[in-house]
Parts: sequence; structure tokens; C-alpha cells
Amino acid sequence: MNAHVTRSRPLVEMINIQKSFGGVHAVEDVSIDLFPGEVVGVLGHNGAGKSCLMRILSGAMAPNAGTIRMGDEDVRFLSPQDARRQGVETIYQTLALADHLDAPSNLFLGRELKTRWGNLDDKNMMEEARRVLHRLNPNFKNLSDPISRLSGGQRQVIAIARAIYFKVKILIMDEPTAALGPAETAMVADLIRQLRSEGIGIFLISHDMHDVFDLCDRIVVMNRGRNVGGYCIEEVTKDDVLSLIIKGEMPDGWWPRNAAKTPQPGLSSN
Amino acid sequence: MSVEVDRLAVPFAGVKISSDALHKLSALFTLFMLVGFFSFGNAAFLSVGNGLTVLLQTSVIGLLGIGMTLVIVTGGIDLSVGSVLALSGTVAGLAVKAGIPVPLGMAMGIAVGALCGAVNGIVVTKMRITPFVATLGMMLIARGTALQITGAAPISQLGEAFGKLGNGSLFRMIGMGSNGLPKVIFPGIPYPAILLVVVAVAVGFMLRRRSIGRHIYATGSNEEAARLSGVEVDRTKLAAYVMSGALAGLAGIVLMSRLVTAQPNEGVMYELDAIAAAVIGGASLMGGVGTVSGTMIGAFIIGVLRNGLNMAGVSAFIQQIIIGFVVIMAVYVDQLRSRR
Repeated sequence: MNAHVTRSRPLVEMINIQKSFGGVHAVEDVSIDLFPGEVVGVLGHNGAGKSCLMRILSGAMAPNAGTIRMGDEDVRFLSPQDARRQGVETIYQTLALADHLDAPSNLFLGRELKTRWGNLDDKNMMEEARRVLHRLNPNFKNLSDPISRLSGGQRQVIAIARAIYFKVKILIMDEPTAALGPAETAMVADLIRQLRSEGIGIFLISHDMHDVFDLCDRIVVMNRGRNVGGYCIEEVTKDDVLSLIIKGEMPDGWWPRNAAKTPQPGLSSN
Repeated sequence: MSVEVDRLAVPFAGVKISSDALHKLSALFTLFMLVGFFSFGNAAFLSVGNGLTVLLQTSVIGLLGIGMTLVIVTGGIDLSVGSVLALSGTVAGLAVKAGIPVPLGMAMGIAVGALCGAVNGIVVTKMRITPFVATLGMMLIARGTALQITGAAPISQLGEAFGKLGNGSLFRMIGMGSNGLPKVIFPGIPYPAILLVVVAVAVGFMLRRRSIGRHIYATGSNEEAARLSGVEVDRTKLAAYVMSGALAGLAGIVLMSRLVTAQPNEGVMYELDAIAAAVIGGASLMGGVGTVSGTMIGAFIIGVLRNGLNMAGVSAFIQQIIIGFVVIMAVYVDQLRSRR
């Protein structure tokens, strides 16, 4: 895995990103990158700017300054469609589902399958939805019910299915397991590992330290809108991470746990 | 009980029925009850002639109701349709009076309606003013304009051609009576009724089978989710208001054509009938729910109620009171549904 990571080029680099609302600096001069087949945990308090940073990458919000580079090109995401076209998919914490619509309609919302005449191809969408949803959860039923009737886990599955059905290169997951039971959490963890093995890069926003240490290759910690540190997960302990999150700095006298390890690319701390 | 029923999607005669379908069925049941009740009271109610009258009377509310449904499903409301109806009708009347051919004059009326809808949509999406206030403003603006350009006087003597759309009918059969005078064998299907059916089918198709329709539902269901999913929320809303305005314009020329007079005072409070039709038919004022077929049932409930009460000799004032109660009951049922 490490060898694979060191050889490849970043999927995306966000460079000197800045975003403020009125006088409040939500994101201040943050740089962050992501490599193929890598899970990067984006950590921080509520209001530390991590969600804001991810919303900029997903096209839901425009930065005041900074560049987003994918491959050799600088990209500008003016809308979520722009980001999706470049293979950036997002699973929002709120799931962003339309409760009155059924699962296939939600899965294909905004990029519906159409027939030759431009009409909605509901039959095809239902088939495709059944296929992808059953891959994630073989027990998924009630595909034609409005999703307001479905359980939290099933709704999460729809949100995930929507992100991975289309050609995804970069996946942003905002608290994907916060609303789930143990079995469903394990399912999501397996899925993350599978996607990683397929070379997809994942930004994982999470408060759950167990998930972070279980799944992430790297972490980036944000505090008051700044990137206060990026580390390989092997270098740090839970206490180190908590210190970064809360105080914005490492404990006094901190030294990487596995200092001998070759440093990975893309570790930038401002 | 409604809440319970709503949640479970009761099996009925072996078929699973969703809460929406249940609402529609109960509305349909109400409609049949009303028809039964009125025909019991007066045999003439069930005659072909009266049926066609109801059809004719309902077509205007139906056209307004279809447009209203689109807007309500996006989570908005359009209070301006009654006034836009008047403005469109008077513009068409003035145009024809000025010598413009009838079809072109009527097209101008519809275009003015669509323009009013576009202004509504822009005020709602760009100026971020709530639909209630935005369309309330348009209600005053359109009414004021209609009164201003006509000097508050009706425009009459518009010619036979102007009255054709509202008064003509298809398959009208006239035979010779035994006394040598012409006798109407079948009064024909009024053009307004045909127009209503065509519009209902077209808009119903659009809502179910076109992506704009799906986006209208998604926008009303969860606007932020729709936006994040790549739905162009503002454009979707704008389209709904434009269609509502255009249909109000169409209803306006149908109504004025029926009267063969352009009346700037027509259509006062029609928006409330249109909203009532949509809500009785199961549209939710919270957005995301509503169908054309439901609104059609709602429009016919109001039409039948009006017609039946008229035939029973109930005064116009009492009619208002009764329809007021019906609207409150319908919204109450709507709330029971959305209170989960």
C-alpha cells in the first residue's frame, strides 16, 4: 500500500484555500492533498472548518482564494455538478436525500437515466438501483416506497450507493457511521476498505477515534480554520490526535512514534 | 385514525395502498358522495346538459389548479393566479379590439400570464422573497394593471370569433325537430373541457415522466438535498411559476371568451379555489406532494359543490361558508398526514 502511494501522483491538491463569512475565517490558508487508494481522516472540532473545506471540494461552496488541482489542471467547482463531473462524490452527514421520492429516484436525482425520447427511464433506474443497493445490502427491500419510510441504515445505504454508482475518483464521507448500528457500521468500514483497494481516494470526516485509527492511512487536523498538522496514522496515538484537535498542537515533547518509517508524500503542515 | 392509517399503508382488498393513493381515494369517494347527494335532491343534476355545465365551470378552476399544483409541489404558493387571469384576459381582449387576429391576441394573453409567472419566479429565486409575499405583490400588480389598462370598464363586442374557445364544442349535433326548428341532439364536448383534459394529461405526464417533474418533487421535498444532488433548484422553481402564470393566462382567455367580454374584475379570489382544489386533491403545502389527478378531483369537488348548491337554491353567501369549511377540513387532513 505504501509503495503504491509513494509512486503515484495526488488525485487532488487543495492549495492555500481560504474561505470567510463576513469577518469570520472559516478556512484559512489550508493546503491538503489526497492520493489514489488512500483514506485521509479530516478531524477537528465542530466549527474547525473541516466541513467547510470539504464543501469547497464538493462544489457546494466556492472558496475566496486558493486553487484546487486535479492532475495537471486547476479546476473550479461552481456547483456540485462540476465536482461530480470530475469524479468527486460526497456523502453528506445529512445524507441529502429527498424524503418523498423512492430509492431509485434519489439514487439518480440530478442525473436521471432517460429513454430515447428524453423521458425518465424508471424501469432501468429501478433495475440499476436494485443491483447496486443489493450489492451493499442484500436485504434491501421497499425500493418503490418513499424513503421517509426507510430505516436510518437503509437511507445511509442509498446515500452511499449514489456516491459510488457513478465513476468516483474522490469520495468525501461526512460522518458516514454516526447514525448507524454496529452491523451497518461494519458494512461501511468494509466498503471503505474495498473502495480504497480499487484506488479511490477517500476523505473521511469523523469524530469516532476508533473508526479513524481503524480506517485512515493519514490524518489532517483542523483547528480554528487552520490545518494544524498532517500525520501518518502510525506516527500518532489517540492522545496526540486529541491534543491536536483540542489545543491545536501536539503534546509537549512529542516525537513521531515510528520515526524510522519513510515519510509519505503529501504531508504538509502549515 | 388517519395518522395510523397513513403510517401503515393499509392492505386494502389485498392491494397495498400508499397514503397518497388513500387520500386520493377518499377525495374521489367524497366527489361521488356529493354527486349522489345532489342528484337525489334534484334529478336535473344528473342530466347531460348539467354535466357539461359542471365541466365548463370546472375547467377554469382546473387550469388554475394544475398550475397551482406545480408551484405547491415545489414548496411555494401562487396567490397571483386570479389577478393574472384577469390581466391576461383583458390583454387578449384589448389586442383583439385593436384588430389583432383572435388566435394571436389570445396567445398574447397567455404570454402575459407566463411573463407574470416569470416575474414571480425571479422574485422568489433571485430576490429570495418568500412565495407568499412575492405572489401577493404580483396579485396586486396584475389586478391593478388590468384595471388601469381598461379604465376599470369591461371590453365588450369582441366579435363571434373571440367567443368560440369558451362557447364552442366538439361533436355538437343538431338535427331538425318535428316542428321544423333546429334541435340539439347532443350539445357536444365544450372546448374548455377538452383543453382541460389536454393540459391535465400533458402536465401529469411532465410530472411523472420528465426529469423536470422529478426535480419539481425533489425541490419541494428537500431543497438543499436537491441542490447538492445537482438539481438546478432555482431554474426548476422558475419553470413552475412560469407554467402557473401561463395556465392562469390560458384560464383567463377561456373565461373571457366564454363571456365574450374582457372583464378586469374577473377572477377575484380564484387563487383560493385553485389552492383548495390542489389541497383537497392531496397536495401538501409543505411541498413534495401533489398530483394533477388529485387536483382534478379537488377541482371537481368544488365545481360540483358550487353547481349542486346553486341548483338547490342555496345562496351564494352560504356557498362561501360551506366551501370555507371544506378548505379547512382539507388542510386539516393534510396536516394529519404530514404530522408523523
